Amino acid sequence: MKAERDFQVVNHSVRKVDAWQLATGYPSYTADLAPAGCLHVKMLWSPHAHARLRSVDIAAAERMPGVRCVLYHGNVPRHPYTTAGEGFPEPSPYDQFVFDRKVRFVGDRVAAVAAETPAQAEAALAAIRVDYEVLEPVLSLEAALAPGAPVIHDEPDAYLPIPMPYCPQENIVARVGMEDVGDFADGLARADVRLDQTFETQYVQHAPMETYVAWAALDGRNRIQITTSTQVPFHCRRLVAQALGLSVGQIRVIKPRIGGGFGSKQEVLLEDLVALFALRTRRPVLWELSRAETFTSGRTRHPIRVRVRAGVTRAGALTALGLDCTANTGAYGGHGIPVVMCCGSKVLPLYRAETVHFAGQIVYTNLPVAGAYRGFGATQAYFGTEQVMDQLAEGVGLDPLEFRLRNHIRSGETSPVFAALGEGKEGVPMTIGSCALEACLRQGAAAIGWDRRRPHTEKTGRLRRGLGMAALMQGSSIPRIDMGAASIKINDDGSFNLLVGATDLGTGSDTVLAQIAAETLGVAVDKILVYSSDTDLTPFDVGAYASSTTYLSGMAVKKAAADARGQVLRVAAAMLAAPVEGLLLEGGVIRAAPDRSVTLAQVAHYALYERDQFQIIGTASHVTEKSPPPFAAHFVEIEVDTWTGAIRPLRYVAAVDCGTPINPKLAEGQTEGAVLNGISFALTEQYLFTPKGRLKNASLEDYHLWSLRDKPPIQAILVSSFEETGPYGAKSVSEISINGAAPAIGNALYNAVGVRLHQLPFTRERVWRALQSHAPE
Amino acid sequence: MKIKAVRRPETPEQARDWARELGEQALYVAGGTGLHFMTDPAEMVAIPLDRIGLRGVECSGRHYRIGALTPLADVMNYRAERWAFHETGRRTATHQIRNISTVGGNICRVFPWCDLPVALLALEATMVLLGDDGYAVPADDYFASQPARRLANGDLLLAVDVPVLEAHMGFGYRKEVICHSGFSLMTVAARLRLEGDRIRDARVAAGAALPFPARLKQVEALLADQPATPDTFARAATEGVREVAWKGREDWSDAYAAHAAAIAVRDALDRALTFARRRDW
Repeated sequence: MKAERDFQVVNHSVRKVDAWQLATGYPSYTADLAPAGCLHVKMLWSPHAHARLRSVDIAAAERMPGVRCVLYHGNVPRHPYTTAGEGFPEPSPYDQFVFDRKVRFVGDRVAAVAAETPAQAEAALAAIRVDYEVLEPVLSLEAALAPGAPVIHDEPDAYLPIPMPYCPQENIVARVGMEDVGDFADGLARADVRLDQTFETQYVQHAPMETYVAWAALDGRNRIQITTSTQVPFHCRRLVAQALGLSVGQIRVIKPRIGGGFGSKQEVLLEDLVALFALRTRRPVLWELSRAETFTSGRTRHPIRVRVRAGVTRAGALTALGLDCTANTGAYGGHGIPVVMCCGSKVLPLYRAETVHFAGQIVYTNLPVAGAYRGFGATQAYFGTEQVMDQLAEGVGLDPLEFRLRNHIRSGETSPVFAALGEGKEGVPMTIGSCALEACLRQGAAAIGWDRRRPHTEKTGRLRRGLGMAALMQGSSIPRIDMGAASIKINDDGSFNLLVGATDLGTGSDTVLAQIAAETLGVAVDKILVYSSDTDLTPFDVGAYASSTTYLSGMAVKKAAADARGQVLRVAAAMLAAPVEGLLLEGGVIRAAPDRSVTLAQVAHYALYERDQFQIIGTASHVTEKSPPPFAAHFVEIEVDTWTGAIRPLRYVAAVDCGTPINPKLAEGQTEGAVLNGISFALTEQYLFTPKGRLKNASLEDYHLWSLRDKPPIQAILVSSFEETGPYGAKSVSEISINGAAPAIGNALYNAVGVRLHQLPFTRERVWRALQSHAPE
Repeated sequence: MKIKAVRRPETPEQARDWARELGEQALYVAGGTGLHFMTDPAEMVAIPLDRIGLRGVECSGRHYRIGALTPLADVMNYRAERWAFHETGRRTATHQIRNISTVGGNICRVFPWCDLPVALLALEATMVLLGDDGYAVPADDYFASQPARRLANGDLLLAVDVPVLEAHMGFGYRKEVICHSGFSLMTVAARLRLEGDRIRDARVAAGAALPFPARLKQVEALLADQPATPDTFARAATEGVREVAWKGREDWSDAYAAHAAAIAVRDALDRALTFARRRDW
């Protein structure tokens, strides 16, 4: 892998800045840092999918040993808000309350206890008497959209804070879409091969190693300090203030190291209650969800039904590409609108189609709540579109690789979809800058041995192998919405404190941002001391989502570092009596000539103690004007047991264009992890419900998340490009690679045995039944 | 459960005596794989068995004696002639669990998806126990009901004797899981004894998709004195499991479990045949 430019720090696989503390088990995570003497929170979760609370009697629970406070809808403030950590105003309905008089899924909040020990809190839950008026649950899209269906959100005070119709009486959060590009019906009519197929994705969970956890305590000024495993500290502060009717200034949010999030911690699920308990009891309060609670009451990926319509000419040109998406958002609507809009905006522009159609709707049900999950929207939509692309190619006699090479978007091109679809509003026009998708396709194909691919009709025997592929694009931040900021100041010894609001959730973004700062300041990474995500101390940042940190926050860091660098050079110029323009800053030394130099430590000392004293400190903010897509081509070889339906991935190749990989090893790690996450999504993960909407497999034993034991060989190929608008040419890398496995395995399944599945996951029984009904030749 | 006290015996007899003295409060701590499912909140007295020996695999000529406290990892790593049990150990749980859990821990309290009972049934193993005196129980009897009930009076499992596979014998084992670390959804083990190209006798057992591990006697009957061919295996596997009430778990339907049973039986027999022919001394 060769970078486009010669960098000193960037594009090198330096050690993670937090490696030592994590490898040695130094207390680093939220629960590690909870003070002794914390009260412990336990929640009484709803056993019903849909019910009204006629009464809640907490008197007996309050008298239980060790119990310090019991909260329920009768003794907490009622302010509508969303748990979705998004920019303000959120493209999510304010349809939640700290507690409500109605429960809307099995696992919804009913009442909470703070007690001296977890066991005492647990015991007190059993003493809470609740009289439920059980209502008819709505457990499917069909049931939710049926005329006369029970209304899940009938509370009068819920609303959508963006200018978009909110339709809770129809169990619909919102309808989204865009004006067709061209005459879509005509585009279909003109096609020589037309397809109209519907695909469905399932409920899945992020399952980070660290479950949801937060604690809160009052400081000496009666302010609330919340330490939490969150991806969105600043949004968390704002949302907690909103939910509790407090001012933002009363709250400080600190994010320590995070044990994984994948989008789940873009939701503010615990922080309101630990803050409220701390206020009521004046004691530190810790709440940590169990794994089962995380499955049941945490956030999930939106199951989405995607209808794909597309047409192609015999010459292989796309005349039409359209998506109609219906998302199940579960009991609350957070993130539903941007997720569905991303089904279009992150998928449709990948191919140059003459006509384009997109429409979507977000539907309430009485099932677990969906939210942000790595790749959101794109993951669900690519499952269908990339299988349709293979079928179109076959329909016109083209190899799937060749078909994609002919039709994918390239540098200098645009798509009307960019301007039409944003996240919760219209998008931003964009011309593709860097694009190495063609190289990804060719290198990935060579690595997997694509030229070995033979049609399924030539395959016999019990075990049959298949090759499949998918092409992908994502985005890098949300243009004109997301903002990141950074400040950087010099210390006496020439080291720098880098303060960022950006949130490292285990991805290594603190390291990446340190590398960007180090590159700009001409120092080694160990001279950059990163402190991230403390709302009192660090500058604002929207947080870790939408593949924004490297591209958006990285550019803020680059600008802040450049600001500091300018100040360093001005001081050095004074010290060396030389013009700034002639100075060279490299390796921590500023040179005017080979024999005339000062070190950064000398510059710092001079500025801090000697003459014209001031703090060398650079600050900057950054808002993006575009969301440059990373691109990827994924290839997989699988083996299908035609007797049992079992699919075994044998080998996976993910070729990714993420611009300049700031830290190649971390970028490869992101890619491999996302691929494994995607394979697991494709083959085994799913929520299984009882007829009354209770989750049956709320444990890692029963949920079947792939681990390293299951991992096939995964080859990550970083195909370099240079994105002019990104820091040192970087784009994002974190999300894109989760989106390829499901369609690539679907295509490989067809290549192996001649059947296609339109529903995830590809369980062995589902594959076996498809084989039984298909009886391939 | 809650542990209110710990007593650490030095001999099996002392462990047995303490268990009898404590009655229902006694809890052997011996590498059990079912602790996760013991949600009884009762207060117990733990009796760790880590000082009483009973660990290791030895060959006596006619059988391998596996100490009840032998970790599954040791079973997996053990190699000897006419020994096939390591295959079962290799497919059990994860490295971490195999390092801690023991043979006894896997078979003293049996859950449907336990790995070893199915193999021990097929291999015609014998359990060696300590009651008032030592006594032996064939696998067919031992696994006829929940062993934990048999052991409730404090009797202690000392060892498992697995017969050495004789010439012309082969063993095959299949375990179907969704992920590597998952519990079995279908376990089948088969032991074949060949006589020339014919099957002299067979022992086939299944678990996971049954309420309790059990022999598949109809399959065995269909195999006896038949030619050892794929057609025989296919017929025995298909017809022999038809009357069994297979139970699908997780995302398997009952119908699919029945289908998977037939395939697993066939695969286990295939593997046993390959094994037997390879060991055609």
